Amino acid sequence: MAAACGRLLPRSAAAGLAGLTLTAARPALPGRCFSSSSCRISSDGKPAKFQPPPKPVIIDRQKQREERRFLSPEFIPPRGRTDPLKFYIERKDMIQRRKVFNIPEFYVGSVLAVTTADPYANEKANRFVGICIQRGGKGLGATFVLRNVIEGQGVEICYELYSPRVQAIEVLKLEKRLDDNLMYLRDALPEYSTFDVNMKPVSHLDHEEIPVNKLQVRMKPKPWSKRWERPKYNIKGIKFELPEKKMKEAQKWSQPWLEFDMLREYDTSKIEEKIWKEVNEELKK
Amino acid sequence: MAGWGLLGRLGGRLWAAAPGRPLWAAGAAAASGDRRQLGFVVRHVNSTTWWHEHLSEENVQFLKKITAEEYKAQTASKLCPLKDEPWPLNDWKPDSIRVGVVAVKLGMMPIWTKSGKKHAVTLLKVQDCHVLRYISKEESGGKTSKLLVGGKNASPFFKSESAMKIFKEAGVPRKQKVATFNVTDDAIIKPGTPLYAAHFRPGQFVDVTAKTIGKGFQGVMKRWGFKGQPASHGQTKTHRRPGAISTNKAAKVYRGKKMPGKMGNIYRTSFGLKVWRINTKHDIIYVNGSVPGHTNCLVKVRDSKLPTYKDCNKNPPFPTFFADGDEKLPEDLYDKEIFQFTDPSVTYA
Repeated sequence: MAAACGRLLPRSAAAGLAGLTLTAARPALPGRCFSSSSCRISSDGKPAKFQPPPKPVIIDRQKQREERRFLSPEFIPPRGRTDPLKFYIERKDMIQRRKVFNIPEFYVGSVLAVTTADPYANEKANRFVGICIQRGGKGLGATFVLRNVIEGQGVEICYELYSPRVQAIEVLKLEKRLDDNLMYLRDALPEYSTFDVNMKPVSHLDHEEIPVNKLQVRMKPKPWSKRWERPKYNIKGIKFELPEKKMKEAQKWSQPWLEFDMLREYDTSKIEEKIWKEVNEELKK
Repeated sequence: MAGWGLLGRLGGRLWAAAPGRPLWAAGAAAASGDRRQLGFVVRHVNSTTWWHEHLSEENVQFLKKITAEEYKAQTASKLCPLKDEPWPLNDWKPDSIRVGVVAVKLGMMPIWTKSGKKHAVTLLKVQDCHVLRYISKEESGGKTSKLLVGGKNASPFFKSESAMKIFKEAGVPRKQKVATFNVTDDAIIKPGTPLYAAHFRPGQFVDVTAKTIGKGFQGVMKRWGFKGQPASHGQTKTHRRPGAISTNKAAKVYRGKKMPGKMGNIYRTSFGLKVWRINTKHDIIYVNGSVPGHTNCLVKVRDSKLPTYKDCNKNPPFPTFFADGDEKLPEDLYDKEIFQFTDPSVTYA
């Protein structure tokens, strides 16, 4: 309705929270009539003041892209008594390699295609497509494991990110999964690890958020290589079809005090920011 | 009689406590007195005092500031050894042995060769390395003359004046580690000369000596690699023990029998390690393989004495690399085989 204006009432709420009574009246937000321009007559009968249309919302794609910072996990130094100079020297080498060879952004759960130089292959190059199940190692020795099922045989290959033998890394599908480690795919039904070798890359717009695939995977019958139902693995991506009794028994191995252990905390936010700035500046040169 | 004597002394002490004095003081005195007589009190050889116990706060801050400035001045004054009346520079001969360097072990890192093979290297940083003293052959009583080299500056306040004498004579800050190198007479260097990582070149081979990581008192399985005994099948309380220590005929245990004891924290050398890369800006040597010692420990690096690498160590910078000399080196020196990250990826044609 014309009289009904969208108006927020933060005053009373704020006053209630603070427990104070505000003596000075806080200016209320200007009432906006969201009605059409035809009924410009207010309840008084006089012609209503001209209300300009609401300002357009400008989404700056460039800024969004910059705000969404991604720092590859191998840049973050592990906790220890090593001299930061050693990490700096290693980072210089890593940045140098990244200038010559493009290492794209990817996460555990994305599908990648890696071409490596192989002296014994036909074309002297070897292409492997698979889902990234694990990213390990820090510094120049960082690795990632790709898994695929080829002709019924599950194959996992561990590649080094900075090895000079890798010639191309393409991200066919950029997405995240519910876990950081998808080793349980070894005990899942093979359909969840099969990816077409000639798959076309799925386009991903720069500014969008990385999609999280909330897929819950169905497992082969037990025994598994690891007891994935136990809380230490903290797996969210499995659809456990085990009886309630087994799930309750697995909770016996939970260690609820671990999340409150302050000595285990490693806050990397400040380190990440510094390193991200350094890496970005070097890469722009 | 002895017991009565002790009790008597105890009693005497207690009665000695006048009504005014608190009993606990007398008790403490009695206790310590007794212990001293029984020999339980630990005798301290060193006096339990620290360097600024009797100094005021201001003086402590002042001393710290002064030593920092002094260190800076001393390092700066030694930057141009060639202009400072250096000792005669000779040419390298095949049987000259030159000085080594004291470095800090930073950590390890992978490197790749041009053929795509991966090797692990240790980074050794040459930090504030100076030559401290020259000991002639007659003075040392050995076969060759010696050069004392120190690495990594440290605080002067925790050593006695006699220990600081060497550093004062050389005019350098106090060093954390002092290493001795046996050198031939044509390779002697004036005390106070700084040594850099460029003293070594990529492609040569070095020996690295350091104290291994201390593991404390260890059993025979970890220390000597014994097999121990099975975990089950009737073993009574015997799973990690040495078993038999000698034979019947010997009727004794031989000297040097491998037994449990303190493991680690002893000097060990890794021989014949290849130098892959030198960083002249940060003074870092990339040495193949692993090196004894923990991270940030001080190691002694010298040219390899193995006869297989005599050809690879030809024509090194002799007697050492001088930073203020004519040679201007690039920031990074690489070995021929190493893959540099400025090159494109490796292909097999």
